[in-house]
Amino acid sequence: MSEKSSEEQLLEFLYACPVGLLECDLAGEIAMMNPHAMQHLLPLAGPRDASNLFAAFEQHAPELRSLVAAYKPALGKICDGHRIFVDLGSGRRKQAPQVLACTMVKLGIDRLMVTLSDISQQVVQEERLRQADTWFATLLDGVNEYAALSITPDGHIASANPCFTRQTGHDYVAVIGHKLSDVLHSDTSGGDLRLEEQVEIAQRDGWHLQEGWQQRRDGERYWCQRLVVARADSASASPSGYSVVLRDVPRREAAAEDMRRLLTCDHLTGASNRRHFSEAMEREQAHWRELRHSLALVVLDLDHFKAVNDTYGHPIGDMLLCHVAQACAALLPPRGIFARLGGEEFGALLPRFDLDQALNLAEEMRAAVAELSIDTTMGKLSATASLGCATLGEADGSIDALIALADRRLYAAKRSGRNQVHQPQACAA
Amino acid sequence: MPVSEASFETVAISDLDGMTADERDALPYGVVGFDADTIVKIYNATEARMSGLDPSTVFGVPFFDAVGQCMNNFMVAQRFEDEAEVDDIIPYVLTLRMRPTKVRLRLLANQDVLHRYILIER
Repeated sequence: MSEKSSEEQLLEFLYACPVGLLECDLAGEIAMMNPHAMQHLLPLAGPRDASNLFAAFEQHAPELRSLVAAYKPALGKICDGHRIFVDLGSGRRKQAPQVLACTMVKLGIDRLMVTLSDISQQVVQEERLRQADTWFATLLDGVNEYAALSITPDGHIASANPCFTRQTGHDYVAVIGHKLSDVLHSDTSGGDLRLEEQVEIAQRDGWHLQEGWQQRRDGERYWCQRLVVARADSASASPSGYSVVLRDVPRREAAAEDMRRLLTCDHLTGASNRRHFSEAMEREQAHWRELRHSLALVVLDLDHFKAVNDTYGHPIGDMLLCHVAQACAALLPPRGIFARLGGEEFGALLPRFDLDQALNLAEEMRAAVAELSIDTTMGKLSATASLGCATLGEADGSIDALIALADRRLYAAKRSGRNQVHQPQACAA
Repeated sequence: MPVSEASFETVAISDLDGMTADERDALPYGVVGFDADTIVKIYNATEARMSGLDPSTVFGVPFFDAVGQCMNNFMVAQRFEDEAEVDDIIPYVLTLRMRPTKVRLRLLANQDVLHRYILIER
């Protein structure tokens, strides 16, 4: 066997490295990369250029470009373990990596070193831990400060503890025999489950926990964790009743709120990020499946946005994206979510919206975008958008099919001349 | 079959499998052959030149984990798992000597032939 040269040894080492490594310039043009990096990059790039980092990630992590652009120091770490969620609508959930961690270090005036690694398993574990944390916190925290009730299978209050009075203002003895859902006033306008719906899930799964706004007797709102647990007798298959625990959760502290924003928002526009959107979509899909709550999706794509970047430059393009996000988010219903899904594509997730309601909101968003006007050194910049709407019912409950249907309608709007919401009825005729 | 006629686009998997190592080394494109467990059994001289690796270090390793990680995704590796018979040419970007390099890949698998093949044309 021939003696291996040190170059061969080095190549062998890089070919086998189980983490993606690449070097590129500040415009994202890749000079060197190892095979593991290409394993992730090429499938994400689709028809775009896989030899440019930003082009390859344009759809799934458009923020990489702006993170680099916004980083002023000559040298240093631009981001560390920045999470990129790549599963949304890929239709290949089983084998494709779902979460990549990206670290970018600036090594010189025009030189970046980047690592990419697949952390999907780690994220799944974190998710489990978080659920367990919430669960145990509910059981163990502030032992004296939770209201505990038991209700009959048809929802009448059988007993309540004195804390129920302190928390809700209703007398804990006087409410016995009343339906709990008549006593509690919850804000379900935006997709929170009603008590009966929680009971339905608890009957099947054993328990259900949700957080949402609750009203005290005097009308004051408070943020409430509501846990419903089925109580079973060994003799009977169906629950003999339910325990309900209500916790008054104090307002989140500023630091926690900052952390939440960091994890759920798009770096540039402040709209929700893909990850948050994707999680919300799965949660709402479960509600659709279990409780037949309608769910609508609106997708919005700015018209001729590439020309804006080419003519006015990326900073003005970025400013336009921020204005669009602000204008559209302002139109959302309480539990609606407005997210940046990729470069100039946005999505609005609308729990308990049917197709007509979604079409109306989409039209309002179209009008709001068309009204935008941004002053630039090259004169006023205005924009238009094309939109498509679909409901989860139309997609038979499949998230991938929902996204695909909304996208098809969006492109139908583009083909019909842009600056419009595609009307599916007109198309079926 | 003369080796000169065994072109990238048309060579049959059975002819490829029947060649001697020297004949495969003479082909103008890269040839990698591996078994059902992805263990590399064939690595021709053209491919060794392009990748910069000594074939002796590649034989016996799991291809998609140790050498061809850039193909360890649904576009290439998954296809060999999902499809018993494959004969397809796809445009691809490899990282030969850590440089992004546009290539064409031909994926070949057939139930009657022990090895699966990837042909690489620069």
